[in-house]
Amino acid sequence: MEKFIDPCCEKCTHTKDTPCKDFVECCVEGPICHDNDECAKKRKALIEKVALDERFVVS
Amino acid sequence: MYEKHIMICGATGCLSSGSNKIAEALTQELESRGIRDKYRLVMGGCPGFCEVGPIIVIFPDEVFYCRLKAKDMAELVDQHLIGGEIVERLLYKGPDVDAPARFYDTIPFYSKQLFNVLRNSGVIDPESIDEYIMRGGYRALKRALQMDSQAVCDEVKDAGLRGRGGAGFPTGVKWGFTNKAPGPKKYIVCNADEGDPGAFMDRSILEGDPHAIIEGMLIAGKACGADEGYIYCRAEYPLAIKRLRDAIKQAEEYGLIGNNILGFDFNFKINIKEGAGAFVCGEETALLASIEGKRGMPRPRPPFPAQVGVFGKPTTINNVETLANIPLIVREGGAEEFKKIGTEGSKGTKVFALAGKVRNTGLVEVPMGITVEEIIFDVGGGIQGGREFKAVQAGGPSGGCIPKDLINLPIDYDSLTKAGAIMGSGGLVVMDDRTCMVDLANYFLSFTQKESCGKCTPCREGTKRMLEILDRITEGKGKPEDLDTLDSLAHSIKDSALCGLGQTCPNPVLTTIRYFRHEYEEHINEKYCQSGICKPLFQYEIDQDNCNGCRACVRVCPVEAIKGEKKEPHEIIQDLCTRCGSCIEKCRQDCIMITRVGSEADVGN
Repeated sequence: MEKFIDPCCEKCTHTKDTPCKDFVECCVEGPICHDNDECAKKRKALIEKVALDERFVVS
Repeated sequence: MYEKHIMICGATGCLSSGSNKIAEALTQELESRGIRDKYRLVMGGCPGFCEVGPIIVIFPDEVFYCRLKAKDMAELVDQHLIGGEIVERLLYKGPDVDAPARFYDTIPFYSKQLFNVLRNSGVIDPESIDEYIMRGGYRALKRALQMDSQAVCDEVKDAGLRGRGGAGFPTGVKWGFTNKAPGPKKYIVCNADEGDPGAFMDRSILEGDPHAIIEGMLIAGKACGADEGYIYCRAEYPLAIKRLRDAIKQAEEYGLIGNNILGFDFNFKINIKEGAGAFVCGEETALLASIEGKRGMPRPRPPFPAQVGVFGKPTTINNVETLANIPLIVREGGAEEFKKIGTEGSKGTKVFALAGKVRNTGLVEVPMGITVEEIIFDVGGGIQGGREFKAVQAGGPSGGCIPKDLINLPIDYDSLTKAGAIMGSGGLVVMDDRTCMVDLANYFLSFTQKESCGKCTPCREGTKRMLEILDRITEGKGKPEDLDTLDSLAHSIKDSALCGLGQTCPNPVLTTIRYFRHEYEEHINEKYCQSGICKPLFQYEIDQDNCNGCRACVRVCPVEAIKGEKKEPHEIIQDLCTRCGSCIEKCRQDCIMITRVGSEADVGN
């Protein structure tokens, strides 16, 4: 997962042709449709790479 | 994980003063030490303080380096990035701080600013949709998609957002008109045709946070029942257009533009239309004509664009800054937060381009209701060279000038209108005591006269006649009846011109006559320009009692019009002097005086 549009695993089905209503929240807080620590870590890694400080992420 | 994030201002202002070269030098210094991978370099949006660019901000340390040169990068790498010590000589220094200032909390320029619209500028990589999403981006869109379209209009109306492009019409009300207009096809148009001299608010927003505009347009589309949008941006903003194109492409890839957005029954696509830079195309009906491929000329209203807009379909036109506010308002609890800022009739913040004779030029975002004095002296740092503040032109060529006597005037829509000015898009040009107000009126009117599209007679002919009178006054050929004629012409144009450009273009003349009538009378009756601007109406003289004969003025005079021996008082030969002003700028003793013309002089332009 190099960017938010990349699926974290096969359970993520969001694409522009098969849109998911929760996609935006899922980018930062996901995964929303399933429980998986590895999938959550992938998102966290993307955020930690670019977050300037602890106030950077806005929910 | 990076050790530090290095945000280099990649906006047009800093790019023009060399931030690209700084980025190259910094990259080279990091690579030569084998530590490039430890640091994240981003060409970010504008942090606002253009006067001291190029700027780098290092996070998480929050250290603000300014006035940088490529040769400073080795020291910055060795001392700060590797050594962990701040490079004090590269920090902000100025008469408004006791010691070199480190960041926003210690630099007076930022002390009264409130970043809403500019919340992401200089903080995120403007070319990354992921970072926009991390900052809460596109959540307001999701919320809007879950709402009824009229409810979105009502929420924006309730928040009190007024259009930031000039007239200040309530945005939610405007959206409601388009929403209620019949027909299946409607458009949203983003007016990014920023044409006021000295204004660059919209450009900076587009360059620093393009997704905020896209999200604003999508929400407007939902509220108005539109499925297509145009961003009308002048071609002389190439970086803004590139960032917009990239952002649109990303949003399409993410399924945030296109069909069934986020799985809702909502389709929207966005086109970019590059304008050729005509000032009149900022007027909404001229802009619509230009989008349609016609000559950019306004048309009478009604019908208003909400009924008959682009390609004859109902259209909402919003300015860049207006749209950038939308995601903040429509997010959960956003309208309530928005309402807490500003005054009763003017909610939220306003972005201004602070230019002219102020010390701290740049882009500022302040709460509505802040006073002229606070903007010019607290944020702007006062007048360059310690000179006296005379007036500020608010609202560009369609605006009016606010004199020193109104320094406590709150900056909001209603107060500015009462003072004869307008909010406009947010240009603030500050003037010192060496500004001639007749010349200023002449400058702005000549701009609007040249930009007049010529369609309606009042604007085409009226501005021409007014300009002829102003030219005559500044040449020393003014007549006593000229002021009444100017006033009469100005009101006729305001009352009868076809579009907003014509209706507002006399404002600089009317406000300068209102607040600086004595200067006009001095030009007309005494043939004297006390500011030393209108060349036939003054001369320079050297104060013989104070001149110490340093020869500084002699050296800079391009026509050898100053004579005198070293350490002896000098003298200006009036027949040779061209009034270029080089001597007065150079004199350290302040002994060159502006006086009334005593004899006929050759002052060929």
